[in-house]
Amino acid sequence: MADTSDLIARFERMQTDLNRTPHLKRLGALFSETVLIQVDDEEFYLFFDKGQLARIEPGPSRKTPWRFALRTDADALARFWEPIPAPGFNDIFGLIKIGRGRIDGDILCLVKNLRFFKEFMDFGRVELTV
Amino acid sequence: MNAVFEPITGRYVTLDISGVTQRIYFEEAGQGTPVVCFHTAGSDNRQWRFILNDGELTRTHRFIAPDMPWHGKSLPPAGWQTQQYDLTTETYMDTVLAFCDALAVDRPIFAGCSMGGRIALQLALHHPDRFAGFIAIEASDFQPAWYDIDWFHRPDAPGGEMGAALISANIAPQSPEVEHWNTQWLFMQSGPGVVRGDLSFYTRDGSLVGQLHRIDTAKAPVHIMVGEYDLTCTPEDARRTAKAIPGATLDVMPGIGHFPMSENPERFRPHFFNALARVAEPRSDQ
Repeated sequence: MADTSDLIARFERMQTDLNRTPHLKRLGALFSETVLIQVDDEEFYLFFDKGQLARIEPGPSRKTPWRFALRTDADALARFWEPIPAPGFNDIFGLIKIGRGRIDGDILCLVKNLRFFKEFMDFGRVELTV
Repeated sequence: MNAVFEPITGRYVTLDISGVTQRIYFEEAGQGTPVVCFHTAGSDNRQWRFILNDGELTRTHRFIAPDMPWHGKSLPPAGWQTQQYDLTTETYMDTVLAFCDALAVDRPIFAGCSMGGRIALQLALHHPDRFAGFIAIEASDFQPAWYDIDWFHRPDAPGGEMGAALISANIAPQSPEVEHWNTQWLFMQSGPGVVRGDLSFYTRDGSLVGQLHRIDTAKAPVHIMVGEYDLTCTPEDARRTAKAIPGATLDVMPGIGHFPMSENPERFRPHFFNALARVAEPRSDQ
């Protein structure tokens, strides 16, 4: 079961890291989309604006359109964010290949912005210093 | 000033392959047992530069690494501007054999990675007499695409950069950062439609399902290598493949992905030493 407050804290930390990383602002300059990340039954809507993460809103929401969704489970995401993830857990497409993740929606949009989105997701590997 | 020159030399050879004139760029280093080294899809011979620069290996081996037509510094054939590049098994085998003939290399060891590993197995099946042995890296009987290969040749997106971002899933997290990104850089530099055309071979044309048992390793040994982080040709795929080839040997490499010689040369090095020894052994030792 996903811990919502922990994940919100994690996404906020990732937001801070992304928004202070110049090369991702450049790579993501054309990326202004809403991404749904679903962890178990918990939904998180990430609103990207020109390569910056403008805001994060927890779901559920039936009224929020999104471009693509990454769906996984809490254990898989925790393993994805380990410093040296095990094979299959090291990449979002790895999660799909091993049956622990799913991508829905406009997959081509994701693939066009894949380096940007992967580097954003990698920020989760930085341990929280609370 | 600290200038370090490498022992690698590069040359061009123009030859006919399946009736088409091709200008091929190749690099080589070392003296001794010839080893022809073939790169992965969407990349070029620079993937092999650490092996060609390995002073210990080049004392006893002559490594020759070409860029396939359409790749690296090899040009596409005349008229490419109106063609769709689709690599086929026949053309690929013809390329390898014509290249070896042109260089008058007699029964070299063949080392190839990914699609180069697949063609190693095709050559082991169809032309075992032409080679001393096969090192088939990240090689399996068949891999269906888990993506749409047409993504990689679109007018509205850079195929090389998308391809690099996608295949980065196959680079192990243990890889040194600089070589992780260099491995992606080579992919990013592939010409328009090249990744797509290579994947056409890899995911559609080159199946060896049901044929592996016919490979005669008594004529030329087959050694299969696979990285534990390879999501495309997984260790399970390589195990299945090795098991189906009587006499084939297998090495699963920890902490390595789909581009061993490029993404983590230090970790790959002892495995490649072992591979060269394996394929050089008399068959009775295997």
